[in-house]
Amino acid sequence: MATIPELRGYLGDLSAILWNFGAVFPTPTLDPYDDGSYGFEFSALLPGSAAPKPAMIKMMETWEPARAGRYAQVEYEYDFVEYPLDRRRAFHRHDEEDFLREFGVAVHEHCEEVLKKPACDHYMGLPIDGYGAIQRFTILWGQPGPLGCSALRCMQ
Amino acid sequence: MQKKPFLTPADIALELDISTSTVLRKIHAQEIPAIVVSERIYRIPAASFELYKAGRLKRAQPAPLGRPRPRHRIGEGESKPVAAGVAALRRA
Repeated sequence: MATIPELRGYLGDLSAILWNFGAVFPTPTLDPYDDGSYGFEFSALLPGSAAPKPAMIKMMETWEPARAGRYAQVEYEYDFVEYPLDRRRAFHRHDEEDFLREFGVAVHEHCEEVLKKPACDHYMGLPIDGYGAIQRFTILWGQPGPLGCSALRCMQ
Repeated sequence: MQKKPFLTPADIALELDISTSTVLRKIHAQEIPAIVVSERIYRIPAASFELYKAGRLKRAQPAPLGRPRPRHRIGEGESKPVAAGVAALRRA
């Protein structure tokens, strides 16, 4: 759980990490939502090959009020779409009730060795935060070869 | 010659005329941004090194607060999970 100043610091950290890798994106804001929650979303374009489009990291999170001025993270969507190598990796937490009911897990992952041609719609995943997602994505960034989707456990 | 998109600590050491261990110290001190591939393997994006040399690396600052807005929709457009039994029925 985190306070609003802590969330602002966290988002500032994530932004600085990506900017210092040469990513291009406008300064993201921590937005108050009309239901009392807070969140952010931004897409960072990575340097390197821009054909057909630059590689992109998208970061989205939602935090709901918990107690004593603190907020709990309830959803995230971290996506890495590497257009130059035609592939995608993602870590998601959303529609938690559906995933818990069907598979007993709150989070899931996506892995596409060929973009938009997944061998499986949803893979089992482990919870991750924004720092971890950026680390996992940047390890893959610009490195040809398989993402390793076949080693993941398909939910369906 | 095309520039390499990623550099090793040894590449940086050569360019800056310092030792690789000094480069590693700078990485550990977060003076030079690096991708930590494993405990002993670091990769430095060429863009990061350019920012470092130009003194244009950014320090983390608290993100600004935005204006109130409707809540964003996470997972929108994505297929929902389908239980194994239902999936088998669909395949039948």
